[in-house]
Amino acid sequence: MTPDGAPPAPHAVEAAGLSKRYGAANALAGVDIAVPRGAAFGLIGVNGAGKTTFIKSMLGIVRPTDGTIRVLGGLPTDRRIRARIGYLPERLALPPTWRADEFLASIARLKGVRDRGEAARHLARVGLAGERARIGAYSKGMKQRLGLAAALLGSPELLVLDEPTDGIDPLGRVEVRRILAEERARGATIFLNSHLLSETVRICDRIGILSGGRLVREGTVDALCGSSDRHRVRFAPGADPARLEAAGFSRTEAPDTWRCAARDPAQLGERLDAARASGAWLVELSPDLRDLEDVLAEAVGRAA
Amino acid sequence: MRAVAHVAFDLLLEARSRRWFLALGGAITLILGVIALFLRLDVVDGTLAATRLFGADLGGSAEPVAAALRPLFSASAWIVFYGGIAFGIVACSDFGPRLLGPGRIELLLSLPLRRAELLVGTWLGVLCIALLGTAFGAGGLTLILGWKTGVWSPGPLAAGALACVSFGVIYAAMLAATLWSRSAALSAGVGFALLFAGVVAGHRDDALAVFQPGVGREVFRYATLLLPRVSAVCRDAMAIAASDAFDPLGLLARVGAMAAFAGAALALAAWRFEGKDF
Repeated sequence: MTPDGAPPAPHAVEAAGLSKRYGAANALAGVDIAVPRGAAFGLIGVNGAGKTTFIKSMLGIVRPTDGTIRVLGGLPTDRRIRARIGYLPERLALPPTWRADEFLASIARLKGVRDRGEAARHLARVGLAGERARIGAYSKGMKQRLGLAAALLGSPELLVLDEPTDGIDPLGRVEVRRILAEERARGATIFLNSHLLSETVRICDRIGILSGGRLVREGTVDALCGSSDRHRVRFAPGADPARLEAAGFSRTEAPDTWRCAARDPAQLGERLDAARASGAWLVELSPDLRDLEDVLAEAVGRAA
Repeated sequence: MRAVAHVAFDLLLEARSRRWFLALGGAITLILGVIALFLRLDVVDGTLAATRLFGADLGGSAEPVAAALRPLFSASAWIVFYGGIAFGIVACSDFGPRLLGPGRIELLLSLPLRRAELLVGTWLGVLCIALLGTAFGAGGLTLILGWKTGVWSPGPLAAGALACVSFGVIYAAMLAATLWSRSAALSAGVGFALLFAGVVAGHRDDALAVFQPGVGREVFRYATLLLPRVSAVCRDAMAIAASDAFDPLGLLARVGAMAAFAGAALALAAWRFEGKDF
């Protein structure tokens, strides 16, 4: 149930024909999207695709020119709705003379968070517990962590994160992914915008591709990047290429790695049996997923 | 209302850690310390017998202390009034632009706040800074002069309060200007322009008498009609500080007109803020 006692809307974010024009330029040109509650949704696209404008529309920071957008069942201009959202902006400007606990205390006051210990808990989660330096002395990664802690305040139902791992070192990214996984387990919906496509794939189970202000592709990671009838197979070195090709395998750019198309598990089993019969030893079998970069390039190319 | 108070409180916290305001506090403390330690006022049977600063006799004939202190209170009020407003314009000119800065305004607008609350909270926070600075300076001066002469006049405090009212009006216009262009220089420019216009408007009646009848006179009459009468309020502040006669109803009308001007400026700013994308 929502804080108002109403049943929760099935979608955390719903946009229909959402458009935003800045003068003659169309930042968004009729975006239709529905992000289910509890999902981890990644919005990707090239620079200028409209990702940040869409996120700002979700938060009422930008007012749409046309179309509608509903977040958690309500309008983003409703502050009761915004009270249920945590947001990490792309270019986060923090007061340089404050300390982390002072900043979080301020955000907690403005969010109406009454639990005084919550800020300290989130500081510990993002690895900034006991940090007494002023924010002006922080690295970019530390500022991002602090911004994430601010977004987590109040246990929001929707976390909107614009480039959350930007500037964070690889181990820190693992920590961020762990935190986001915990938030999902709590029931929060995650809406992520990142240029780091590998991060997006690791965090999100659904992905939307924006191009020219339109949502050109949307679906699960498997649906976008994978294929139900294509597999990647790696054999131990020494397999006979001619016999593998005869068994229905095709070469890939990686050594000892082959691609195999099979309409069902039975056909896949038959081909693997044929390979083994030729003396090839199976080492690895996985779905043949394309890189998200390739999917993005293809989607943007088609849209153009 | 709670959100407005939180925004104002945060602005006070931010000001506390700024060099400008630390310098202001230090400067006021230094001036008060110099006055307390090195200004000697010898009062004998209610008469100011001698005035010495750093041991040097400042001259003047013996006269009742209440009358002798009038020019000092009056001058103090003038300095507190115009000095305070000028300092406030410079020191507070970048609060608005910082509030609207990229990466900060997005975060603030994503919080459960109304835009108008953010605006009024910022204005109120700046007004609180002005009040605290004035209370410290004018209150300290009142205490020192009262302690040295036995004459306890709330005049400097009243002058400071009127200075805060005038600054509040000017800052409302500065904040509104920020919503058209996020520039501290523009904000300060609008502040000083309005201060100058307010000084001229305060002398409106005198100036009108100088104008020849005609279009220019009418333009001046209507152009200054809506402006805050800053210099007239300063004259009232000086009169109050020196315990001279003044027109309370006239002052009330001027302060009321100033409040209306500030309200109009804030309403304009709120209208602009509501329709603006960031």
